[in-house]
Formats: sequence, structure tokens, C-alpha cells
Amino acid sequence: MSEVIFSSWGRKIVDNRQGQPQPLSELKIKLPAQYLEEGEVKGFIGWDGIILLDRTVDVVAMAAEYMKRVQEKYCCGKCTPGKKGTKVLQDTLARILAGRGQEEDLQTIEDLSLLLDSCKCTLCMTAAIPVFDTVRYFRDDYLAYARGEKTPADGLKYADKLTAPCMDRCPAHIDIPAYIEEIKDRRFDESLGSIRRNMPIPAVCGRVCPHPCETACRRALIDEPISIMVLKRVAADHEWMHHKQPPMLPKRSKGKRVSVVGAGPAGVTCAYYLALEGYSVDIIDMLPEPGGTVAVGIPDYRMPRHLLRRDIKIVQDLGVDIQFNTKLGRDVSLRDLKEKYDAVFLGTGAFKSKPMGVEGEDQGYEGFSEGGINYLRKVALGEPIVTPKRVIVVGGGNTAIDCVRVALREGAEDSILVYRRTRKEMPAESYEVDDAEEENVQFEFLRNPTRLIHENGKVVGVEVVVMELGEPDDSGRRRPAPVPGSEYVIPCDLVIPAIGQDPDLAYLDDSDYGIEQTRWSSIVTHNGTMMTDNEGVFAGGDCEYGAMTVVLAVGHGRRAARTIDRYLSEGKAYLDQEDAMEDVLNNFGVFDKVEETGLVGGLHREHQPKVDGHERAQNYDEIELAMPESQAVAEAERCLRCYRVGMIAVG
Amino acid sequence: MVNLKIDGRDVEIAKGGTILAAAEKIGIKIPTLCFLKKISPTGACRVCVVEIEGADKPMTACNTPAIEGMVVTTQTEKLHKIRQQVIQLTLVNHPLDCPVCDAGGECDLQNSCYELGVDAQRFAGENLNHADINDWPLIQQVPSRCILCEKCVKVCHELVGASALEVKNKGEAAYIDTVDGKPLNCEFCGSCVAVCPTGTLNSKLFKFKARPWALRKTPSVCTFCPSHCQIDINTQGNEIYRITSDDEGTTNNGNLCIGGSFGYGYVNHAERLTRPLLDQKPVSWDQAFDKIVEGVDAIRSTVGSQALAGFGSPRLSNEENYLFQKMFRVGLGSNNIDSEARFGTLRAMQATETVLGLRGASNLLSAIGKSEAVLVFGADPTAETPAVDWQVQNACRRNDANLIVAGMRKIKLNKFANVSLTCKPGTELELANGISRMLYERNLLDGDYLNQYLENPEELKLHLDAIDIDAVCSKTGVTRAQLEETADLLGTAKTVSIIFGAEITKSARGYEKSIAISDLVILCGALRGGDAGGLFPLEEKGNMQGMLDMGLCPEYLPGYQPYAESRERFGKVWQAELPAGGLDAIGILEGIEAGTIKFLYLAATNPLTFPNANRWRKALEKVDFLVVQDILPTEVTKLAKVVLPGASWAEKGGSVTSLDHRVRSLEKAISSPGEAREDWEVLASLFARLQKQSISISRSEILAEVSSLSSLYGDICFAGEERNRPCLKQPYRPALKGFHYQTPKVEEVETGLQLVSGKSIYHFGSTSTWAAGPLEIESQGVISVSPADAAAAGIIDGGRAKLISRIGTTSGSVRIDPNLAAGLIFAPYHFAELGIQGLFADGCNRIGVQLEKV
Repeated sequence: MSEVIFSSWGRKIVDNRQGQPQPLSELKIKLPAQYLEEGEVKGFIGWDGIILLDRTVDVVAMAAEYMKRVQEKYCCGKCTPGKKGTKVLQDTLARILAGRGQEEDLQTIEDLSLLLDSCKCTLCMTAAIPVFDTVRYFRDDYLAYARGEKTPADGLKYADKLTAPCMDRCPAHIDIPAYIEEIKDRRFDESLGSIRRNMPIPAVCGRVCPHPCETACRRALIDEPISIMVLKRVAADHEWMHHKQPPMLPKRSKGKRVSVVGAGPAGVTCAYYLALEGYSVDIIDMLPEPGGTVAVGIPDYRMPRHLLRRDIKIVQDLGVDIQFNTKLGRDVSLRDLKEKYDAVFLGTGAFKSKPMGVEGEDQGYEGFSEGGINYLRKVALGEPIVTPKRVIVVGGGNTAIDCVRVALREGAEDSILVYRRTRKEMPAESYEVDDAEEENVQFEFLRNPTRLIHENGKVVGVEVVVMELGEPDDSGRRRPAPVPGSEYVIPCDLVIPAIGQDPDLAYLDDSDYGIEQTRWSSIVTHNGTMMTDNEGVFAGGDCEYGAMTVVLAVGHGRRAARTIDRYLSEGKAYLDQEDAMEDVLNNFGVFDKVEETGLVGGLHREHQPKVDGHERAQNYDEIELAMPESQAVAEAERCLRCYRVGMIAVG
Repeated sequence: MVNLKIDGRDVEIAKGGTILAAAEKIGIKIPTLCFLKKISPTGACRVCVVEIEGADKPMTACNTPAIEGMVVTTQTEKLHKIRQQVIQLTLVNHPLDCPVCDAGGECDLQNSCYELGVDAQRFAGENLNHADINDWPLIQQVPSRCILCEKCVKVCHELVGASALEVKNKGEAAYIDTVDGKPLNCEFCGSCVAVCPTGTLNSKLFKFKARPWALRKTPSVCTFCPSHCQIDINTQGNEIYRITSDDEGTTNNGNLCIGGSFGYGYVNHAERLTRPLLDQKPVSWDQAFDKIVEGVDAIRSTVGSQALAGFGSPRLSNEENYLFQKMFRVGLGSNNIDSEARFGTLRAMQATETVLGLRGASNLLSAIGKSEAVLVFGADPTAETPAVDWQVQNACRRNDANLIVAGMRKIKLNKFANVSLTCKPGTELELANGISRMLYERNLLDGDYLNQYLENPEELKLHLDAIDIDAVCSKTGVTRAQLEETADLLGTAKTVSIIFGAEITKSARGYEKSIAISDLVILCGALRGGDAGGLFPLEEKGNMQGMLDMGLCPEYLPGYQPYAESRERFGKVWQAELPAGGLDAIGILEGIEAGTIKFLYLAATNPLTFPNANRWRKALEKVDFLVVQDILPTEVTKLAKVVLPGASWAEKGGSVTSLDHRVRSLEKAISSPGEAREDWEVLASLFARLQKQSISISRSEILAEVSSLSSLYGDICFAGEERNRPCLKQPYRPALKGFHYQTPKVEEVETGLQLVSGKSIYHFGSTSTWAAGPLEIESQGVISVSPADAAAAGIIDGGRAKLISRIGTTSGSVRIDPNLAAGLIFAPYHFAELGIQGLFADGCNRIGVQLEKV
């Protein structure tokens, strides 16, 4: 259990140097006790202060090292106070550390720290904050150096990482400020290059990402968050709309082979980064079409199929082979793959619909769909399917919303969504609920199905019970409870349950692979390496996490590719400094939603144009139109470029 | 609109406007250093910080948009201190070598220090400055003087589109370098040097030559191409030291190309013609004139005036060309006058006139930048008319326009294109037809518009019905999908600009191709008018439009009045009987060969740059009496009986007419070397002698005469002559039912390995081959060959090759150009040594060749 000696984090001073250290958890700060195999975490210095967990940490040395790294590794040099100011700070701190400092130097440090408030972005600006703290609260240490009474001796190692609130919140950790700045500079190809460093399917994530990054956007603290997702689409569309060839080239062949199971976001991402590193990658997929859930779970009006195919074609063009209609556990076993390949990545998704638990759902009635995901898949693959006039979809997530909207396009006259809580609690993205409403989807909130009504084995309605919201549950949402005796029947011809999906891990049953599963039947991997209990077998995406987002799957796929590379070249799947610090900071938390920015805003977020609700519900054409590039540039101008550097001291 | 308060004063500004712009509007000066209006704000220097009510932190005025109700303070103790400290930081490791710095006296950093009273330095840091970069051609980069304002990077990327520069390294070690880290290899437009606020980027041609404050600036016009950028000729004594251009108040927004920035070297060239020559020996002007008059009289009295012929020039001013045609028609009694327009511009002009009633561009160049779709067809605007390139980029970058680039060669603009229609050599006509058909097939025609303006819709239908897209695809090599996308982009845009150039106009089927493009112009509605869109036939020679406007061809009198019909009327005004008939360039050539043309006057014209150059050489050798009026010695001056030394554009006044019909005046910045005279003076003197009377003609009288004779120049006045503001010719408006759709004639296209000649982006005609700047970048004519053709012939990059056509042969060094499609060879026409024009048939730019390794 780490204990705090001193902390200025969040501008709250906790000084236990004279007294008893207190547990770190009391400060609601999360830092690991141990960093990789390099030792205990003894201190942290970053954008909002310093945290000391050990009395032996030399604060002056830590500040000097921090400023050196900020200036030499991260400062972009593109504004005067940043470029020059951090250099003067670095040199001043180094001089003090070398015993050649003077007391006036402390005044220079304080003055410059204030001057850095006028930096162009927050990288150098925030870097001055902890350094200022050290001068203010550890002045004696500085003076001891200046007087030649102290020399550096703590022998600590440091690990640093550049981050930003959006970048940290993005599960794929895309360098968002970089790609936005490149859009601002009208360098769309470069912007796409920055995106591709972490995300190989930008046309997809520029359209259907739930963009958690935007909930961590500092611009929202002064007006509205940046349209981060749409800007990604702009960069991706620019390449496509200009028929440009992507510039990526794989490294020389490493002579090793990796099997990837599943051509969804996780698998494709893993394959992409491995192919770039020079591995020979073969993907198998049970579907006749690439993209996994994106292809068969997200309707074409949100994600045009040709653009999904283009993103994946780019991966194939790097030499990745995809064998379709090949299902793990049916056409090939994991054992076969293990024998044939040097490593295996499982990205098999979550395709099994959860049961609703209502009377009659296991009776095989005509007019009862196996599940929303199955319904969407059949439509997506063009399988023969008849959608009747009145359709009820049960659920409140994105799949449920997709189902009601697809049903309309498939000819339903009434498409009704039944959800047991209210609109506010729906897990679906609120803009998608709005979109559905504009398309004339009907909503029955606070209703829960209790029984299927059938005539001669054919569904004619659903009995529902009225619900009331009670106390909040674990998820913070108010728990719905049925109102006794309020049951009534909503007539319909088709019921589609869409209350969630689980991974189908039946392919692990043919042998004892020793791969641990959770009780939600997802695969367990270890310490962020994405490796399962079976050495050489990795997993990521929905089959590892449970049904989640495309961008999480991308993050998993990329991380797995990095550890697979190390596993295949060094024999060990481990996290490097970059990965480890990514996790340290992600756990620590980068976005401060109550921060006082000291800036004024007043600029509205730019939106991409959208096809009218009635018109779009007639077909599968993309409903959101491309944002003009000049508008994207204006949106990018709003970005505050919230870079910051965190550094831990380890020993 | 947004209302805000700055320093207690109310100001209203358009939404999206910055605090800086709002302050400027009411005359409040906020200090800036990295700000440059013509590019996106960078916010690098932080000198323009202001305080905003509600914000704890200072914010930059240059890139903070004004918000309703904002209260801004621009001058406080705190801000002053920040600004001073920021300048102090800027000066950390900045060498104080102002005495030897080229920017000394015009340095923004010097000025900022001075204005903000920065007289002491309290900061110091380790010096990590990158060493001076001296291995770039024409430009030196001194990183230690750089303040990293990124003006160079942004001008290069946002306006020029060369994207050659970037910020390298981190922190204090950051500096500006080329993207690939190799010596600069770009368009060498010099814009980076022009916008550099300090002495970081320097012109090597200017370095250590003069102090800025000692230079005299004469506002004038660059006539290297018909973009006619507005410039200041910087002179000291009788020498040009550099060319600059102001951002404010110029149509080119301060941008120049290599010609403008670095091409002036030939003006002060040591080999300039300084004295009249008779039989290659110096004589007095009187002797030279007397000899010409004597020769002319002899020929007129023996064989008659029809034995006299002359070539005018796009290098001469409107007045000079006017005088030239009048001298020939009145003074010499001959209408055998023509120019190189015969082999290009005139073909386009006759086609656009037939179909659209249009001669030249239909709108101002800025209309390209405002259009929603642009089609560049068989042109390389970067080389032919750089200002058009910038406007195309403006359209793409600032107006979200879609761009289609069509032609046999891939050009720079392809990198901005949505669709690149790279066609097989010579198939531009078929390609234009294909696009037209696709617009028709996909119901993208505006019926109302066509009904209103098209005289013969039945012809349109007949033509388009007969076009088979599959045949078009197989002939041109473009795909159906590409044609569909092109049609969709052009057909759905509200405003369309169509630009075509040398590869169309200079080709053998130039007239028919121009017809096909003119038809396409009707279908796209490119001539709907307004301030966006239009048709822009390009021409690369400076005053081509003005020269033709002045009637310098046998078929037109000034203002395009048909010669045969208007001959009498002009004769009355000019008090002379104008001769009937008149030979064009090929007629003159044949006349010389047949011995019927005995006297040839070449005014600033070198026929050895025409296609089939060797036929011209032989003809020139045969002319009895050859007069050459020029500024530099060439093969042609060596053949002349009489050489008359003229003046360069910097040495004379006169008006010139740009591609987009702006009329501007040249201003005399220096005097001509030796006894050389302004060309209009030479022509006026000779005219007077031929008329056997002393007439004094002033330039303003000439222009007044032009205005009185042609409505085209009727409203031209140079009220603001000294400020060099352009006047506009009568603008083009399509007449109702004024479009006459015409079915272009289709002919078989020659296949097999093809050679095409054209303009280099670094050279302009042949004069720039006398200028040190362009020569440093391209010192000789190089043959560009595709990788496949080079491999087939066993030629390596830098090796030598021989080209053999049915007309002639040449050899030269080879550059392997991956942008060239297999089957196509390109060579620039500027260089006499390469003599590429000797391989072509009359008036053509393309021919089948054999390629052999030497």
C-alpha cells in the first residue's frame, strides 16, 4: 500500500514530511506500487503537481529530469515560451543540480513558470506547474544544492509518457491532438498517418465510434467538446475521395506466422500491426464478409459497406490473407492453428444473443427472432428474410436501436422499441436515439416483456408489464421494478430481443486449452499483454471484454500485436515502457472534469450535415454526409491541444 | 455579426473574425510577430497576447475568434511584461549579427525589440542552433536567426502547395528543414524568402548585394507569364537587385513564382544587345533605320509590299504591338503579320469564339478560387501560369472544391485532384467527349440554362447520342467509373471552372480539341457568370492576350475586327489604303521558301522556338533582308541584316493585358543598356521614317487611339497609373441563345512512343535561359522518360538518349520520371542546345519518336 509523503496534486497540498504518511487511496490517487519489474513507484511528477511516496526521492533531481525530458523529447518548438522557456528552465535546473546554481535562479524559474501560462498549448504550460511546486515547497533542497551541500544520489529511474485527456480516454490511445492539429494545418494525409499509428480502420472509427474521447475533451469545459470522431472521418475520407494510395509499407519479413481468428476490428487491427512489423498473418472468419460486427451488426446507413471493405482491403494489401466462411471449432480447431502458426490471436467477438427470460421464448414460435444481432446479420448479408408490418424490438442498447431502424428500412410500418427504463437510462448513444425518433421509430419506455402471445405457433403480440424506477443500482441507473397487475398486450408480428450479446467460446471445448474464462464467458488475459493462459494464444475485443466498442477492440488488437511481436522475437509477451506507462496513466486518470481552465470559449462545435429523417428511412444510403474540409479546419482550430507529460520515479 | 469591446471601444465584426481583426478595424494596434494575414494563424510568438474578461490566462489575439460581448484589453502592465519577456526568450541564442544580416533594416524581430523596448537579456540557455544550411539552390537557411514563426512552412503548404518545408526536431533544437531532409528541391518560387520576417531564409542571388533601405522600389508587372503578378522592382543604380511583391493591394497577394522571384537576371546580363548592328557590325540608330527603309523601298519598288512580313511578340506591350501592326499595314503596306499565337492561342480563341463567342478567359482568375469544381484539362498551370495554380488550390483548400485533372501528363496539381484522368497521348478530344456524354447520360445537364443560352440543342443531342463511352474508355485509357465520378463532380457543382492549356492548344488538333472543351463548358454551365467559375484557356507568354487584342494577326484588326470587313474603315482613320489579304505564319514560312517573302521583321520573336525549328532555320537563312529587334544575342540575331537592341520590361513603360483581361502598366525602373531603346520608341521612329514624315507618338496617344478604334479597350483608363492598379477590359457576358454547340471533328490519333514538348516550371520562353536563378535549378533541357520506356531502351537516370522523329533528331540527358505514363516522353522547349522543337511537324507539340540509348 503506497503512502503519501507530499502531494501538490490537483493544487491540494498534502504535506506529511514532518508527520505520518497517509495512504495514497485517501487522496483518491491511483498509482501502482510496483512498476513493471523495475521497482517501487516512489514519486510522480506531472501536469498538475508532484506526488512523493518515499522520503528518499530527490525532488530537485526529479524536477530537472522532468524538464529535460519535456524540452528534449516532447516540446514541439512551435511557440516561443515553450521552445525557449523550457530550455532556459532545463538549463537552470541542470546548473543547480550541478552545484552551480544561485538563489536568483529560483526567481527565474518562478517567473518563467508564470510566463509559460501564455504558451500555445498545455504541454510546456503544464510542465511548469510541478516544477514551480518544487521550488515553492522544496526551496531548502534547492538552496542546499546551490550552497554545494547536496549532490544527486537517489539513483532512481524515471519513466515518462506524453498524453492528453482525449488520447488517454480513447481505448486505442490515438494521438488525437496530433491528428487534429494536422487537420488544422490542412495536412490531411499526415493526419491520417497519425491516426493509423494507433487505428487502422479510420473510416469505421470516424463514423461509428462512440467516441469516449469526447467525454474527456477539455474544450467542453469552456464550451462544447471537439468533434473528434468526425475529424477522423474527414482525414480518412480525404484519402478515399482523392483516390490516394495509403503510404504504409511492411517491414522485411520476420519469417514467422500468426493466425488471427476473426476479421472484425480486433483481428484486423492485430493483423495490420503485425503485418507492418513483417509477420505473415492469416485471418479466418466465419462470415462471408470482412468486418465482423461492424459488417453484420452495424447497418450500412451508419457504416457504408464499401468503406468498411476499403479499410480492410488496405490491411489485405499489406499481405494479410483472409479466409472467409471458416469458423473456429467447426472448420478448424485451435489446436490446428497452434500447430501451424507461431502465435494465435482470438478476436471472435460476441455473437450470442442473451435470452430475455420471458415465457415462450424457447418455443420456436414463428415471428420470434433469435436475437437482434442475428436479425441485423441476415439483413446485412442479404439473406432471405421477411420483415412484417409490426415489429417490436426489446432492449435499450445500440443493437436495439439499429434493429428498429433497420426494420423500418426493411418494410415495417410500425417499428416499436420496448425498454424497461426511460430514455435517459438507455445505453444507446443519445444521438442515435434521436435519429431513430426522427425516422418515426416508436418508443415504449418503462415496459418489460413478460410473455409472448401466439396463435398457432405464430407470434401475434407481446405481453408487457409497466415498470417503475426505484433506487439506483450498481451501474448508477435507477432500478426498474414491475407494477403488479399492469400487464397488457402490444400486438405485433415480429419480436426481436436485443438485450445484449455474449461471446460464443464453444471452440475452446474440443480440448483442454487451459484458457480461463469469466462467468460472462469471456476470455481472461493477463496484465495488459492480451495473452491467455495458453502461451502463444492471445485474445482481444468482445470475446475478451464482453460486447463493447469497436475502438476498444482496436486498442486490444494493437496492444496484442505489440506483445505478440515481443513474444515472437524475444520469447516473452511483456509490456514495454510505452505500454506500461500508458496503463499507469490510464489508471491514474488524465481528464479533470472540474478543472478551471482560465480560458474563455463561446464557440460552437461543428456538425456534419445529415440527410432528413423521413428521406433517409427509405434506404441504406449513409445518413451523415461528409463535413466539408474547411469546416473541419475551423473545428480543429477549436482544439486546445491538451498535451501533458507524466513521469514516475522508480527505485 | 459579433459585437465586442476592445480597450473600451465598441467594435462589430463578422462571425469567426479574430480579436486581432476586430482591433485592426478600429485602428487599435496589437503587436504581432508571427502573424501573416494570407495564411492561417500560427500563434507561435505569443506577442499578441491580450487580456479577456473572464479569462485568467492571457490569450492570443491572432487566433482567438471574437465572441459576442467579449471585453478585451490590449495594453496592460502585465501584457507588456509578457511581450517583453517573450521577445527576450526569442533572442536567447539568436545571433546579434544584424550588421551582416540580409534582413537588417527590414527585420520584424528588430522592429519588435525596438517597439517593445527590449534592451536587456535576463535569460540564457545552451545554444543548440543547427548550422547554416548552404547546400540548397538559390536559398540559404540560417537556423540561428529563425524565430519559428512557420510563415515559410505555411505559405509553402497553404498557398503554393509545394509543401517542401517542415519543423524538424524537438524543443530548442527545432528548426525549419526540408521534409525529406535533402537539399531543397521545390518550385523555387521564393515565397518562403519573401515572408521570412528575419534573415533566416535568404535569396542567394541577393545576399550581401545591397541593404534594403538603399533600394528603390518601382511598382510594375511581371510579364514572364500572363498571370501578370504585381511586383516591385528593387533597384540601385541601373541594376535590378531583387523583385518583391506586397501582400496587400495586389491581385497575386504577394505571391510570386520562380520567374518573378529569381528570373530577373537576364535584364542586367553582360551580353545584352547595346547597339544597333548592320551586318553584325555596330552602327548608329540612324544608319540602321536608313538601311531598313532603303531595303524596304527597294523590295516594294521591285516585287511589291506583299514581299514584306513580320512577327509581333507577346513580350512586347500593347502599344508596341499596336504600333507594329499599324506600321506594317500602313507604313509597309503589308498584312503579312503574325506571331507564335498561330501555333496555340489562336486555335483556342477561334474555337471558343465559334462556340461561345468568347476570346480568352471568361472571368477573373479569382473566380477559379471561388468555384465549387475545377477541371484542369491538358494544362500545367504551375508551369504555364502559376497564379492559376494558386487559384486552383484556393478553390480546393478554401472553398472545398472538387478538382479533376485531365491530360496525358501527371502534373503537380494531380496531388490535389479528386479524379485524375490520365489519358493516352493526344486523346483529349475523345476524353472531353466522354465527359460530355457522361453528363448527359447521368441527367446532369441544366435544361433551363441550355434552353436559355444554347442556340442549337439538336446538334448537342445528335453529338452526344453518338458517343460510345466504351469506345472513349478504350481510346483514352480512362475508366467508366472515373468518367462517372467526373461527371458527378462537375454536374452537381453550382460553379465550375474549366482550365485548358498548351497540351490542347499547341497540339495538331488544337482547334478541334478546343471545340470539344467549349462544348463541355456549355454542358457544365461554367459560364453562368458571377464571381465564380468560368473558362480559362491558358497561354504561357506574357502579353499574348494584349498582342492579339491589338490585332497582330492577318485576320483581325485591333479589337478583333475582321480584317477584310473593317479594312476600309481603319484605312480611313489611319489615312492609308490597307492591303488586301495577308499571310499567316505558315504562309510567311512558305513564302520565304518560295522566295516570295524577301523582308522579314522579327520583333522580340525567335522562330527557332517554333515547332519544326529546323525548317524555320533554313528559311531564315534564306531571307534577303532580316530585321531582328531583341534584347539578347541569339542564333537569329546572328542571321540578321539589321539588329535593333530593344528594352526589357524593366526598362520601359507601356500597358500589358493579362490572361484575365486586366490591363496594367509597366513602369520603367532602370534605363536600357548602352544605346538600346524602348521598343515602342524604335517602332515609332521607324514608322515615322517609313512614312517619310516626322511624327511624334506618345504612349498615351497610342492607347487613346486603341480605345477610339475598339470598344474592347473603350473604358480603359490609367487614372491610378503610378499605383499600378489594373483596369479591366470589357467583361464577357454570354448572349441569350449565344452558344453554338459544335460537333468536333474526330481523327485517328497517332499511337506508339510519343514525344511531347512543353514548358518547364523553371523557365519562361528563352529569356530565362539567360538568367542565373532559373539556370541554377535547370541549366539544360532534359528529356523526361517513363521508367518503363527507359528500361526498354536501357537508359539510366542521368544517362543520354537520342530521339528520332520523322522530322528530326536530337540527343540529350535523361531524367526518369515516375509520373510519366509509359509511352510518353516529355522535353522542355526552352533550350536551343536540346533543340527539341526541331523534331516536330509544323505547329505541333507531339510526334511519334524512337528512343535510343547514346
